[in-house]
Parts: sequence; C-alpha cells; structure tokens
Amino acid sequence: MSAEHYYCLAILMFLCGTAGLLLRKNIIIVLMAIELMLNSVNLVFVAAAREFNNLDGQVMVFFVITIAACEAAVGLAMVIALFRKFGTLQSEFYRLLRG
Amino acid sequence: MTAPLVFYPLAVLILLVSIMVVSARSAIVSALFLVLDLFLLACVYASLDAHFVAAIQLLVYAGAILVLFLFVIMLLNVDPETSKRRVRLPETLTLLVALGVFGLIGSQLLPEQLDSVAQVSALDTTQTSNTTAVGMLLFTSYLWPFELASFLILLAMVASVVIAKRPRKSDTR
Repeated sequence: MSAEHYYCLAILMFLCGTAGLLLRKNIIIVLMAIELMLNSVNLVFVAAAREFNNLDGQVMVFFVITIAACEAAVGLAMVIALFRKFGTLQSEFYRLLRG
Repeated sequence: MTAPLVFYPLAVLILLVSIMVVSARSAIVSALFLVLDLFLLACVYASLDAHFVAAIQLLVYAGAILVLFLFVIMLLNVDPETSKRRVRLPETLTLLVALGVFGLIGSQLLPEQLDSVAQVSALDTTQTSNTTAVGMLLFTSYLWPFELASFLILLAMVASVVIAKRPRKSDTR
C-alpha cells in the first residue's frame, strides 16, 4: 500500500468531518465532527512519517492529540454553559449576536 | 506498508463509521460510533508501525476524550427519543462477548506464556522500539513543545472549570 492510499482515506474522512461540521445543528455532534477532522490529519502525519522514514510526524500526532484533548475539554465546558443559558443543544436557537 | 488485505477492509469500515458519526440522529449513537472509528484508526496506526501513537490513540482519545463526551451527553440528558427505542442485546450474546474477552485476556496470562512475554519485553528494551525512539525524540528536540503542552493542558483545565461553573448569585446575568 502506498502512502497515497492513506492520504485518500484521510481526505475522505476530513470531508465527512467537514460535512458534519457544516450540516449538523447539534453542537456536541459538531464537536465530534471536529475530532474526526483532527483524526484524519493525524492519519496523514502517521502515513507521511512512515513514507519518509522520519519519526517527527508521530511526535506531531502526540501534540495534535494533546491539543484535541484541550479543545474537547474547553468545548464541552462551553456546551454546558450554553445549555444552561439556552436550555437546548440545537445551534439555531443560539441568537445572542443576532439582536 | 500494510498488506491490502488489511488496509481495504479497515478503510471501508472507517469511512462507513465516519459517515455514521456525522449522520446519526442522537448524540450518544454518534459518540459510540466515534469510539469505533478511533479503535479502527488505532489499528491502522499499528499496521503502520506507529505503536506509540496507536497506544495513545486508545488511551487518550478512546479512553479520556470520548468518556468526557459521553459524560457531558448524559449530564445534559437531552435525547428523550433515543431512550425509547433503545436496542438491548440479548443476555446470551452479552455473556458470549464477555466470555470471549475474558478468554482472550486469560489466554495471554497462562503460566507457560509468561516466560515468553518476559523474553519479548526484555528484547524490546534492548532494541530501539518505536516507543523508545519517539520518547527520545520527545525529550530531546521536542522538549520545549512538550513542556508547553503540559502548560496548555493546565490552562485548558482551569478554563473549562471557569467556563462550566455555575454563575454566582452576585453576577448579573
């Protein structure tokens, strides 16, 4: 299997994540779509590390996972705060900036 | 690189599960599909000889982040329609799965295999395994990013506590 197969898989996964990010209204599912996109980027890093025989890509995956953990923690805290304020998870009801 | 016999089924499964993650109706089904997706990705990483990344994928992503997601979903409890049409596995199937996992773990812990396990781990420490190499890289050329990452985690912890805590009575909200 060449690295291009892995890149194609990662691109398709990223497209799934982008579709979820743009189309879904439930903000928890939107956060999970972001996790999906981060995972596809990780797949590119690991496949490239294998292709070029260089371990820097795997170290980058470590940092991406760290930042994904931070993003999930802060994002879910914001979800809890939003749910407390609006009583729903559907993003079309969040209209603080709409006047 | 991996054999096509391993890659193609994994790739098809990952794509199907990814579509299910973003198209599932309730958040909890989506989260469970995301767990499956992360497991399959860990398999892909292991087939690419990235054993350290596969391990932290399972421990951090599937273990910690997804539990956080599930915890928030259950805390907010906004999916009444999923609890009605919940599909329960038959008890016999559950028992079979549990016994299978038990047997799988137990077969690794049989006394005659303990010696070979010890030999393998002794070999791994002498040779440069993937985990050793990544660890060396992480603590030499990536030392400062590593320290900054720990500071970032501390910052994120404080921030999430501040954002999610109940507003005080004195706050005018």
